[in-house]
Amino acid sequence: MVKQSILKIEGVSKSFSGVKVLDQVCLDVKEGTVHSLMGENGAGKSTLMKCLFGIYKQDEGTFHLKGENVNFTDPKHALEHGVSMVHQELNQVTKRTVSENIWLGRYPTKRGFVDENKMYQDTKSLFTKIKIDDIDPNTRLSELSVSKRQMVEIVKAVSYEAKVIILDEPTSSLTEQEVDKLFEIIETLKKQGCGIVYISHKMDEIFAISDEVTVLRDGEYIGTNPIEELDMDKVINMMVGRDLSHRFPPVTNVPGDVKMVVKNLKTRYEPMVNDVSFELKKGEILGIYGLVGARRTELVEAIFGMRTIESGEIFIDGKKLNNSSPHKTIENKLALVTEERRSTGIFEVANIRFNTCSANIKKYVNNFGLLSEKEMFSDTEKQIASMRIKTFSQESLIRELSGGNQQKVIIGRWLATDPDILLLDEPTRGIDVGAKYDIYNLMIELANNGKSIIMVSSEMPEILGVTNRIMVMSKGYVADILDTKNANQNDLLKLSAKYL
Amino acid sequence: MKKLLSVMLVLTMVLAIVGCSSDKGSGTTTDQQGTKEIVIGANIYNFGDNFMNGVVSPALKEYADAAGVKINIVDSENQQNKLNDQVDIFIGQGVDILAINLVDPASASTIIQKAKEANIPLILFNKEATEEGAMAMYDKVWYVGTASADAGIIQGDMMVADWKANAKWDKNGDGKVQYVLLKGEPGHPDAEARTEYSVKAFDDAGIPVEELAMQPDPNWSTDGGNDKMATWLASFGDRIELVICNNDGMAFGAINAMKEQGVSIPVYGVDALEQALNHIADGEMNGTVLNDGKNQAKAVIDLSLNVANGKDPIEGTSWTLDDVKAVRVPYVAVTPDNFADFK
Amino acid sequence: MNFTRNFSARINRFKKMNRTDWLNFLVNNAIYIVMALLIGIVILREPTFLSVRTLINVLSQSSVKLILAFGVGGIIILQGTDLSLGRSVGFAMVISASLSQADTYASRFYPELWLTGMPTFIKLLIPLLIAMAVCAIFSMINGYIVAIFKVHPFIVTLGMSVLLYGVLTLYYNSPEQGGQPIGGLSTEYSNFILGRIDSIGPLKFTGGFYIPYLVVYAAIVSIIVWVLWNKTVFGKNMFAVGGNPEAAAVSGVNVVGTFVLVYMMAGILYGLGGFLEAGRIGSANNSSGFNYELDAIAACVVGGISFSGGVGKVSGALAGVLLFTVMSYGMIFANISFEYQNIIKGFIIVFAVALDTRKYLKKT
Repeated sequence: MVKQSILKIEGVSKSFSGVKVLDQVCLDVKEGTVHSLMGENGAGKSTLMKCLFGIYKQDEGTFHLKGENVNFTDPKHALEHGVSMVHQELNQVTKRTVSENIWLGRYPTKRGFVDENKMYQDTKSLFTKIKIDDIDPNTRLSELSVSKRQMVEIVKAVSYEAKVIILDEPTSSLTEQEVDKLFEIIETLKKQGCGIVYISHKMDEIFAISDEVTVLRDGEYIGTNPIEELDMDKVINMMVGRDLSHRFPPVTNVPGDVKMVVKNLKTRYEPMVNDVSFELKKGEILGIYGLVGARRTELVEAIFGMRTIESGEIFIDGKKLNNSSPHKTIENKLALVTEERRSTGIFEVANIRFNTCSANIKKYVNNFGLLSEKEMFSDTEKQIASMRIKTFSQESLIRELSGGNQQKVIIGRWLATDPDILLLDEPTRGIDVGAKYDIYNLMIELANNGKSIIMVSSEMPEILGVTNRIMVMSKGYVADILDTKNANQNDLLKLSAKYL
Repeated sequence: MKKLLSVMLVLTMVLAIVGCSSDKGSGTTTDQQGTKEIVIGANIYNFGDNFMNGVVSPALKEYADAAGVKINIVDSENQQNKLNDQVDIFIGQGVDILAINLVDPASASTIIQKAKEANIPLILFNKEATEEGAMAMYDKVWYVGTASADAGIIQGDMMVADWKANAKWDKNGDGKVQYVLLKGEPGHPDAEARTEYSVKAFDDAGIPVEELAMQPDPNWSTDGGNDKMATWLASFGDRIELVICNNDGMAFGAINAMKEQGVSIPVYGVDALEQALNHIADGEMNGTVLNDGKNQAKAVIDLSLNVANGKDPIEGTSWTLDDVKAVRVPYVAVTPDNFADFK
Repeated sequence: MNFTRNFSARINRFKKMNRTDWLNFLVNNAIYIVMALLIGIVILREPTFLSVRTLINVLSQSSVKLILAFGVGGIIILQGTDLSLGRSVGFAMVISASLSQADTYASRFYPELWLTGMPTFIKLLIPLLIAMAVCAIFSMINGYIVAIFKVHPFIVTLGMSVLLYGVLTLYYNSPEQGGQPIGGLSTEYSNFILGRIDSIGPLKFTGGFYIPYLVVYAAIVSIIVWVLWNKTVFGKNMFAVGGNPEAAAVSGVNVVGTFVLVYMMAGILYGLGGFLEAGRIGSANNSSGFNYELDAIAACVVGGISFSGGVGKVSGALAGVLLFTVMSYGMIFANISFEYQNIIKGFIIVFAVALDTRKYLKKT
C-alpha cells in the first residue's frame, strides 16, 4: 500500500547575510509513518523547521500540506492547520495545570465562565486516546517530570487534531522506560494516521522507530532512504562524508608535562556532571566533544568555579585548586571564554577598549586610584593589532563587530590576564570560515607558548582538526578519551551516544 | 503602527506644552504703557501641603494680582535640590524679586548666596532659616513668617484654659491629663516645636500630664490620623482625655475615627483650614490655631513691592521688622467662640 | 468529607517530615512564623489586644487595602508592578469626595452640583463610576505602553504617578477658593461606607460585635476577583501570560489584550478603593493616597504573589493584607516607637521578597 504524503517540503533554501544555511532541501512525510531527520549540529535541521513555522522566511522553495500550498505566519497558525512541534526545550506555563496548558488560548466556556469540568474531561479523553493513564489533568506542570511534560505537549498537539507532529530530540532527557513509553505513544499516533518527524542523534532510536530517514549535511539535502535500506555506518557516512584537509592549520604544538588533573568531579545540581576525571598537559589542546545535552559547558563551568561541586578535586601543578568562585580560579590563572557570547561574554553596549580591559581592570589602576586611560588605550591597540581584529577604532561598540571579531576581543581580554589554562567553550560558533582559521591559528600558537587549552566544540571536523586529544562526553559522563591521531568521526559519534 | 503611535504621542505632548505655557510669559516683560512690570519668582515647598497649597499659594496670587505684579509659583516637591535649580532658573529669567519658601530650613545660606551673587532681593517666607548668621550674609534678604513655637504655645494655652473650665474632661478624676498626640514629620521644626510647646503649657500651668501614646507621621496625613486614633480607641478606650494634633489634617482623621466609634474626646489642631472651622461649628473639634497664611502672603507681596520700587521694605505698611529682619505674622487661636470670624 | 481527608493527609505529611523537611517548612513559612511571633509579643505586652474591637478594626482597616492589593496583584502576576497606585487612589478619593459633599456644607468643592437633589443611589453611583472610569483610563494607558512598547512597568507607572499627581493637583486646586481638604461628606455617602450590620435576621450580635459595611464590600470584591482569576478565560490568560508570555502567545492568547484588561481591572479596583477610602477617612486632599502602593505591593508579595509572575492566589493577597494590618495595628497598639515600627516593617518586606525569589532561584 502506498501511503499518502502529508507534509511535503520542496527545494527550500535560506541564506543569512550571504551564507547559505539551507540549500534546496526536500522532505516528504507520509501519513502514518515516522520520518527521521538527521544531521550533525548545524546541518540545518532547526533552520528548516523555523522556515516551516514561519519564524524565518525561506528564500525559495515550498511547503505543501496534504497537497495544498501553505505558508505559515507563526507557530500558532501552523498549529491551527495541524502542524505542531514539540521542542527540546519545552515552552510551557509550568506554574499552571496540565489541562490549562493544553487548552491555553481556547478554553471551553459555559455561560461566560471557563468550563473546568469539560476541560478536565476532554483532557482525560485525549489521554485515553493515546493511552496515557498516569497523568492527572489537574496537576501543576512544575510537579511533573520532563517526560510527562513532553507527553502533555504531544497531547496538546493531538488536541489540535495534528496531522504532522515534529519531535525535536524528544528523548534527550528521558530514562529508558520513559523512552519506551514515548515510543508506544508514537506508535499510537502512527496508527491514527499522523505523520511524525523525528529529529534525533541517537542511532538505535532511529532504527527502532523510523520508517524513512532523511539526512542533511551543512545545509544540503543528502538523501532520503527507507530504513530497511540503511545501517548505522551508511547513515554516519551520509552525515559526515567530507574532506577535512586544508580547513585547519597544521597542529605543531608538543604537549609537555601534566598541568592540570581533574579527579572524579561531580556537581551538585541538575544538569549534573558525573565522575569526570582527566589530565591536561602543558601546551596541549584538549578537545571536548559531545552532543547537545552532553554537559560539556557544565563541566568547564564547574572547573571554572561557576557551579557547586558535590565531590571531586582539581589539581594544578600538583596543588589543589580552590575553585569556589570564578574570582579564585582567575587568580589561579584560569580563563573561560563562554559559549553564549551575547549573554555571558560581551558587554554589548560598551566599546572595544572596555571589553578588552574588563577582566584585568585592576592592572590599570594608577597611583591616584583611578584607571589609566592611556595604558588601557595602548594595550587595546596592541591587542587589536596582534589578534587582527577588524574594527574602525577601539571606540566602536563591540556589538557593531562581526561574531568572529567579537570572539577575538573576548579571547584577547582573557589573554591579557596571562592565563596558563584557557577554557574555550564553542569558540568558533557562529563565525565565518576565515575568522575560524584565525582562531585555530591562535590556539596552536598559544599552545606552542606553553598554554594549556580546553576546547569544547560540537563541530566534529574542528575537534578532529586542531586538538591533540579528544575527550568525548555523554550525558555528564566521560565516554572516553582518544588520541586525535587515532580518532575518526564514527568513533566520536558512537561514543557520544554511549550513556544515552 | 507603533511609529504612528509614537509620533502622535510626541505631537500631543508638544501641543500640551505649547498650550500650557502660552499664558505664562517668563522673565521681565514690558507692558503696553512701557513701564516695567514687576515679576516675582516664588515657590511653594510642597504642593502636597494643604496649608501652603490651599491657603498661602492662592493668597499670594490674589495679592499679587491686586498689586498689579506678576508672580510665578513653582512646586519644589519637598526637595531642596529642586528648589536650588528653580532659583537658578528664576535668576536666569531675570526676575525682580525672589520669594522663597525653603524646603530645608538649614539650606538657607545656599539660596541667599545665589540671590546675593545675582543681586536680586530675596524674601524668605513661612520657613525660617535655622543657620546662624545666614540672614546677615546679604543686606537684601528678609523673612516673613511666624515663630514656630507660637503655634504650640497658643494651642497649649487654649487647651489649658478649656481644661480648667471643664472639670468633667478629667474623666478618671485623677487630676492628670491623659493625652494622645498625633505628631507631624519627625525632625520638622514645626512638628517638633508644636509638640514641645503644646504640652509645656500644661506644665507651666501646673497641671500634671500623662502621655498615653505619641506617633509621628512623615506625611501629616488624614488616613494616618484615622487609623492611629482607631487603634488607640481600642487600646486605651475611655482613658484618653485629650487628643493633641500637630495639624488639622491629622485631627480630621482622629475626628473621623471617633465618630465611627461613637465617642467624642476633646481634639485640637493647627492651621484653621476651612474643614476645621466646619468641624468646630459642628462641635466635633475644640480648637485650632490660625496659621495666618493670608497675611503672610500679603506681607510677602507688600515687602516685594516696596523693595522692587527701591523703598524701605516696610514703608507704608503695618508690618514691623525684628532684629533678624523678620516680619512676624501672629498666630491666632480659633475657638468655638470666634471661629465664625475666620470663615 | 473531602476536607477531612485533606486534613488528615496533611497531618500525615507532618508526621513523616524529617529534619530537612522541617527546615524547608520553616524557611517556606518563615514570614508567617515571624509575624506570629510579633503578634505574640504584642499580646504579651498588651493582653487587651485580643478583643472584638481589634478584630473589627483590623478587618475594616484591611478592607480598602485588600481591594487595592487585588488590583496591583493582577499586575504583579503579569511580572509587573504599579507605582501609580497611590496617586490613582488619591485621585479617586478627591473625585469621590468632591462629588459627595453634603448640600448644606459651607465650603463645597462644587457650590452648585447637578447631583444635588438626585435620588440617593444616583448620588452614590455617579461619583463611584466616575472615579472608576478615570482610574481605569489611566491604568489602561499604563497597560498599553507596557504591552506594546515593552517598557518596564516600573518606569511606566513611575512616570504615570508623577503625571497623575499633576492632573490631580490641577483638579484639586480648581475651585475658586483654591485647594482645600474636601470634607463635610454627605451622610448618605458616609453611612454607605461607615455603616454597620448589627444583626442578621433575628440574630443580634452581642459583645460589641458588628460587621462594618466596608468588610462586606471587601468580601464581595474578593469573591468577584476570585471568580475572575479562577473561573474566566480572562483570569486563566492572565496567569498564562504572566507565567510564560511566549508560550501564551504561541498558543494564540492575545497578550496585549490581556495586559490592557488586567491593568484596566486594576484601575477599576483603585477607583472603587479610592471611593471607599475617602468615605472611610472622611476627607480627601491632593496628598491622599500617597505611598499606598508600597503597602499593597508588600502585602501581595508577602502573600505569595510572586514578582517572577504567573503565581498568586486571592487567599494569598488576603493573608498578606491581614498580616500587614495586624502588624501595623499591633505595633501602634503596643506603642512601639515609630522608628522601630519602620525597621520591623522594612525588615519583613525585604525578608519576604528574598524568600520569595529564593524559591524560584535556579541553582548552578
